[in-house]
Amino acid sequence: MIRHITGDLYQVSEIVSGQFGSEAVSVYVLLNGDQPVLIDCGSHLHRESIMADLETVLDGRTPAYIFLTHSELPHAGNISSVVSRWPDIHCVVSNVMLAYIEVLPTLPLAQITQATAGSMVTVGSRTLEFVTALLKDQPGSQWIYDGRTQTLFSGDGFGYHCPPEQSGRFSDEIPGGIQSEQFESYHRQTFRFLRWIQPERFNADLDRLIGMRPISIVAPIHGAAIRGDIDLHKERLKTAITAVCNSYRERLK
Amino acid sequence: MSLPPDTVLFGEGLERVAVRPITADIYWITHCLGDLAQEIYRDYFSMLPDADQYSESRIVDYPFSAFLIVDERSMLIDTCGPRQQAATLQAIQHILGERPLDYIWISHVELPHAGNTPVIKRLYPQAEIITVAGGEHYQLHALDTARMVEPGETMTLGRYTVEMVDALFVDHGLSQWLYERTTGFFFSADWGHNLHAPACGECFQFLDEMLANDYSEELFVEDVKVNAWYQFPWLAWTDPDEIAAAVARLFDQYSVKIFAPSHGNVIRRDVGRFMPLLEEGMRRAAAMPFSHTWSF
Repeated sequence: MIRHITGDLYQVSEIVSGQFGSEAVSVYVLLNGDQPVLIDCGSHLHRESIMADLETVLDGRTPAYIFLTHSELPHAGNISSVVSRWPDIHCVVSNVMLAYIEVLPTLPLAQITQATAGSMVTVGSRTLEFVTALLKDQPGSQWIYDGRTQTLFSGDGFGYHCPPEQSGRFSDEIPGGIQSEQFESYHRQTFRFLRWIQPERFNADLDRLIGMRPISIVAPIHGAAIRGDIDLHKERLKTAITAVCNSYRERLK
Repeated sequence: MSLPPDTVLFGEGLERVAVRPITADIYWITHCLGDLAQEIYRDYFSMLPDADQYSESRIVDYPFSAFLIVDERSMLIDTCGPRQQAATLQAIQHILGERPLDYIWISHVELPHAGNTPVIKRLYPQAEIITVAGGEHYQLHALDTARMVEPGETMTLGRYTVEMVDALFVDHGLSQWLYERTTGFFFSADWGHNLHAPACGECFQFLDEMLANDYSEELFVEDVKVNAWYQFPWLAWTDPDEIAAAVARLFDQYSVKIFAPSHGNVIRRDVGRFMPLLEEGMRRAAAMPFSHTWSF
């Protein structure tokens, strides 16, 4: 499913269903003139549909870069097809990722660059910033910020479960937006380390990170883009994190 | 580079995998970089305040390991990564010979742990894949035929019985540890691992062999700290006392005689000596400021 988010930013997403609801597996595309950038490349499960959608969005352009939020198969399982179709594509991953062993070896190591949190990469006329991933289920995770569209690509963070009828819809197309319970369900499953976390400390860092740059859109891989009301959704995520942490505390009592 | 005498090496460079018996029936199948470690790990350790301790004055490496328990039914514990696929298959076949592989037990879904599952399953189609319960999207990780198990469940392999252990310290949500009741073999996946120096001949050594030479308890604590800091950055939001208490409770619950992390040198002797060191390493990691990693 292809959706236009804003400016030259597109979302290509597939949906998997489960007992907690529907979960998106998304790829984001910045057309970026003649040097398009992919954020993640989706799952091998959805290879044919993702590649077809990417061809449609790119409309003959050759993507210059793929930035991986991290290398797990739901995020990078389709990389063999991407490399096969666009063999010169360059990949950027976190410096905490051991690319030789954590990225499928179909991508030549010479085409992988490692970036530290806080560094910038310029692609054509656009500069993308690597941001510390606050919520990571793999140490070599990174979030990515695009100042032009004011979008934070948040990897697994800000993911959510949703009823089937909301699949692929942006937050501003859903009455009331994404609810805390939707964030809670997803983050409870994904980030089991929350059992140890003191939520007020995590939430303070989330406030700090979000507050450091203008953000109009949060683009999670396991959700559709959150457009607008970023502070509201950040507060809902904080509520969700607090609820998950506190439920573990209750169990320990 | 000289190998420990009972070690067999398959492949080379980025793809090499060694096999070494820990007991008569439990094998360590492990990849590390050796001479390539300095180049590969330089950027990785660059964030540390004392980065030169890991990539200059002491050049470190760490393994990516699987283990194989051979019994009436055999169990492979994790699979190594796709880049080591050919050597890993050779290693498994070297150990098993004509015997079948019955179980492929997965600690968590990351490529260095589970990435060879499909190809191993093709080679041993009767093998059952075992993953932790709680996940509903294993198909995204190419593990869709897995049987899911809960912490506390046991599987009898013959003389040996393995128990699924609640993974206390995790990166990926779907994680489990494993304990074998007869030998006291404890597999801790990403937690509790040291580093080793290829230049000191420490590749594929057991920890007692390292300590007999250049390695020390203080280095072990610092290595556990550094690895935990990288592996579990969420420690920055925890109470170090709670973390240390959890480690102490773990060792009260399980009579661990062999401590086998995915990414460290196996501790096969005197594990009790290392329990307080593992606790201290976690405590130090939890007390570290995250300003070095968290470039807001």
